[in-house]
Amino acid sequence: MTLQKVRQKQGRFTPFLFLSPAILFFCCFIFFPLLGAFGYSLITWDFFTRPKFVGLDNYGKLFKDPIALEAIKNTFIFTLASIITHVGLGLILAVAVNRKIPKFFSYIFRTAIFFPFLLSWAAASLIWNFGLDPTFGVVDYYAGKLGFPQATLLSSTWALPTLIMIDLWKTLGFCFIVILAGIQTIPSDINEAARVDGASGWRLFWNITLPLCTPALFFVAVTAFIGAFQIFEPMYIMTRGGPDNATLSVVQYLHLTAFRNFEIGYGAVIAVAIFFIVLTATLVQFRFAKRWVYEG
Amino acid sequence: MVVKSTTENPGENSVFSRRTVLKTVGVGAAGITSAAALAACGSGKEAAAELEAATVSFVYLGSADQAKSWDALFTGFRELFPQIDFKANAIPSDNWAAFADAVAVQLAGGAKYDVLNLATEGALLFADKGVVLPLDDLIARDKAVMDAALADTHPRLVEFGKKYGPPDGKTYYIPSGGMNCMAAWVNKDVYKKAGLDLPTDDWTWDDFLAAGRTIKKKTGAFLFPVTAEYFVGIMPWLTTNGASTMNEDWTKATCDTPQAIEAAEFARQLVVEKLSPPPGGTFDRFELGIKGELACFGGGRWPVLAVRAANAVDKYEIYDFPHRGANRGSPVGWACFPIMKSSSNIDASWEFLKYLSTEKGASIFAKSGGTASPCLKSVAESQEYLADSPVGTEKLYRALDYATAIPSPTKGNLTQRAIEDVWGQIIAGNIKPDAGMKKMQEQITKLLV
Repeated sequence: MTLQKVRQKQGRFTPFLFLSPAILFFCCFIFFPLLGAFGYSLITWDFFTRPKFVGLDNYGKLFKDPIALEAIKNTFIFTLASIITHVGLGLILAVAVNRKIPKFFSYIFRTAIFFPFLLSWAAASLIWNFGLDPTFGVVDYYAGKLGFPQATLLSSTWALPTLIMIDLWKTLGFCFIVILAGIQTIPSDINEAARVDGASGWRLFWNITLPLCTPALFFVAVTAFIGAFQIFEPMYIMTRGGPDNATLSVVQYLHLTAFRNFEIGYGAVIAVAIFFIVLTATLVQFRFAKRWVYEG
Repeated sequence: MVVKSTTENPGENSVFSRRTVLKTVGVGAAGITSAAALAACGSGKEAAAELEAATVSFVYLGSADQAKSWDALFTGFRELFPQIDFKANAIPSDNWAAFADAVAVQLAGGAKYDVLNLATEGALLFADKGVVLPLDDLIARDKAVMDAALADTHPRLVEFGKKYGPPDGKTYYIPSGGMNCMAAWVNKDVYKKAGLDLPTDDWTWDDFLAAGRTIKKKTGAFLFPVTAEYFVGIMPWLTTNGASTMNEDWTKATCDTPQAIEAAEFARQLVVEKLSPPPGGTFDRFELGIKGELACFGGGRWPVLAVRAANAVDKYEIYDFPHRGANRGSPVGWACFPIMKSSSNIDASWEFLKYLSTEKGASIFAKSGGTASPCLKSVAESQEYLADSPVGTEKLYRALDYATAIPSPTKGNLTQRAIEDVWGQIIAGNIKPDAGMKKMQEQITKLLV
């Protein structure tokens, strides 16, 4: 074997060598746990007694479980509302901030919107718990003064919309920054050329800004879906899934099933269901992306 | 079997903040520490000589900053048994049921503990899973010590321990640490300001309601915080109307009886008439009480530490919970310190449990305030327990005469969640009391199957 052939052979493995840390991480923390979840979904086990193989029985249980279906419904409502509000409001705010306003106000605005994103969900939930307190909560008090419903976390009608609003406050900053970055990458000469051609502000937005920032909007939509579908903390801390399971999210139900009811097999089924729902939704988003995302 | 500690329901509406609860446990631990020093009796020395060196791993509900308090307790014990060391593990949790779940998950993950600090809520769960050690042989070995402890324990506590123990008939928990019943802590200043005479132990719901209306009218203060906490906020109303969430064997739900519905209606009425702060808030009932904005609240032994801290012992008197007709009632819960079956330090752990059951230990625990009333009658009637406590403190122990064991079946964590969720909706007005209690009945029935 010549030296050149040896080097060629070695060269084939070089990329894998560089990728190995990421591959190792992926296998340890994503791929093998995923396989484990599939495995667990085929057994019944309560942590302490001997596991029993039950095949696909746990999967059949999922479709007959009204609480699971309610949790999935709640999570879809939360997720869709999250995508619509984050993409819509994020875009409006990004366009507003991108306009020629004094830098000082631009910084203040950006910081104010992004700041809640830096808080942990636990801290944000506790802050809102106090704000919405029906006895002395500032937010609850002024909501009443303005004619909005009060004690919303206790209402099976208003609890989920309240959590959607809190989620918007908490995570809008991320979407806003991504969309703003997307808008700021649009070459200014395109806008200038359009202006020379007599395009109005609305025309600029509709025909230039919006199409050219669709990659950012797409990214935000995909990440918002993945993040929102796995929502857990605000429900767990603020409402415990109540009242009457009105805010029970599917991940919270997984937690209840596996770690409070000790049904590990059934909990794994819910985990697998979440995986497939998120995977399917993401693939669908990518499939339809070709129709509306600008690819340059 | 043991004490219902301060954290019976340390949720959002508890008398104390979580931090206070943790401090409370710490004070109790420090008290027991002193007890260890006193407990240096001859038999202890003999046992100490026989015991091999060991490190006992102990897990409790709380945060890591409590470790010092528990260390102090163990240091006291080590004066008797210097060769025994302790490793305390803290697990922060919202309530005892959640704590039991967290411990179970840790055990499943391979964690090794020798002794757990549980309450009624986790007792059956661990026995059912077969992870705790039957103590029958050890009790037989130290029959004289245990007989002395049982002879001094309230007979109903002994009865509850047997009745609500695991169905296999074995003994997994011994009376040690304490128990809690519920009573009404009445703020004398608010009553005086409203121009009312203090209540008597015979007060009925009607008397209670009438007093609340007068207090609201004349002082603006709330009468009582109505909450959705199982032990503190729900069971007292049910038991004072002869009802409960389950039958005596904890095998069937009894949430839709006329008495239970009536109790829910009464609790809702207190909210509707604004005699209670709006439910679901994060208010501190004790703080409201000290400010004169709350006439009374329900509690066991645990409020005494906060009352003492605020120099307000003289402001409060303790009365039996107001009741409907002749139905005097209260829930009771107790603490448990099981030894794990997997423990490699069974003898050392057993000495620790025995130490917790002694009169000397319980006396010091009672004196320090603690989070629970003692299981031992002699201690409950002693000055160590009654001194520097509100008038009527002895009623917290006497309530055992008519108390109902808080229903905590094997799936107690799930039934508690369902009960609190539905009750929360009832008192918030989202659902009518009769419909709510029927819904609760359906949910509990499903969980008990």
